[in-house]
Amino acid sequence: MFNKSVFINCPFDDEYYTLLRPLLFTVIFIGLKPRLGLESSDSGETRIDKITKMISESKYSIHDLSRIQSTREHEIYRMNMPFEIGLDYGCRKYSTGKQRTKKYLILEKEKYRYTQALSDLSGFDIKTHNNEPTKIVEAVRCWAVETIGITIDIGPTGIWNRYNDFMYDLYSDRKNKGFSDNDLQVIPIKELVDYMEKWKKK
Amino acid sequence: MAKISHHVVPSPEGGWNVKKGGSEKASKHFEKKDEAVSYGRIVSRNQDSELVIHGKDGTIQSTDSHGHDPNPPKDKK
Repeated sequence: MFNKSVFINCPFDDEYYTLLRPLLFTVIFIGLKPRLGLESSDSGETRIDKITKMISESKYSIHDLSRIQSTREHEIYRMNMPFEIGLDYGCRKYSTGKQRTKKYLILEKEKYRYTQALSDLSGFDIKTHNNEPTKIVEAVRCWAVETIGITIDIGPTGIWNRYNDFMYDLYSDRKNKGFSDNDLQVIPIKELVDYMEKWKKK
Repeated sequence: MAKISHHVVPSPEGGWNVKKGGSEKASKHFEKKDEAVSYGRIVSRNQDSELVIHGKDGTIQSTDSHGHDPNPPKDKK
């Protein structure tokens, strides 16, 4: 499980959902297992405990820093993502076990913007997506090939095209089961991931 | 047997592609979405397939099965 798990550190809001869906699809499509803070709602475990456990159990991580900048006046910028990068880096740095082999992908909207807020990350492999769903597929695939060493015979455009097939299959299946258009917009992440995994196996 | 579909999807290089359902490759590229939709409609009519029009993020904007609804309403009233 450790060797396939990818800890996903990103915002879980409606605006990011358009990027999160293709990101999760690509991770699953290339044969890895996404791990997210939303995957379990066990109230007996604190959020930070769940996150540190997932970080420790995942060889790979994808951290998206594209939302660390506030976009409106008086909006508080988000610190969870940089905090969790720190936890992940610490896990690798101070571990004496398999966690020393952890590998990261850091995503940003624009190249070099993060250096103004988090210059400690200079030297990390950072890829940009410009908030475009197609670019996030490209970034994840490229990282999997370059950094993890996975052989992927299908290019980013092919994965993107299959993602569109997946979206249609999900839409048709849920419509057949009586889901409304609004229901389709609010499918829980866990349900979406489960459906992606089943779809990939078919 | 699953019905054949044709899809109008955003191209990672910009513009829009028309592709057959299940295919990794686009059959034709267009700069404008309405051109892709017009072409997709002709192809899907000729092949009696469902035309699926996607948004920029891959979500389904509309489907057209040319009078053969694959998901007809169950309530007949």
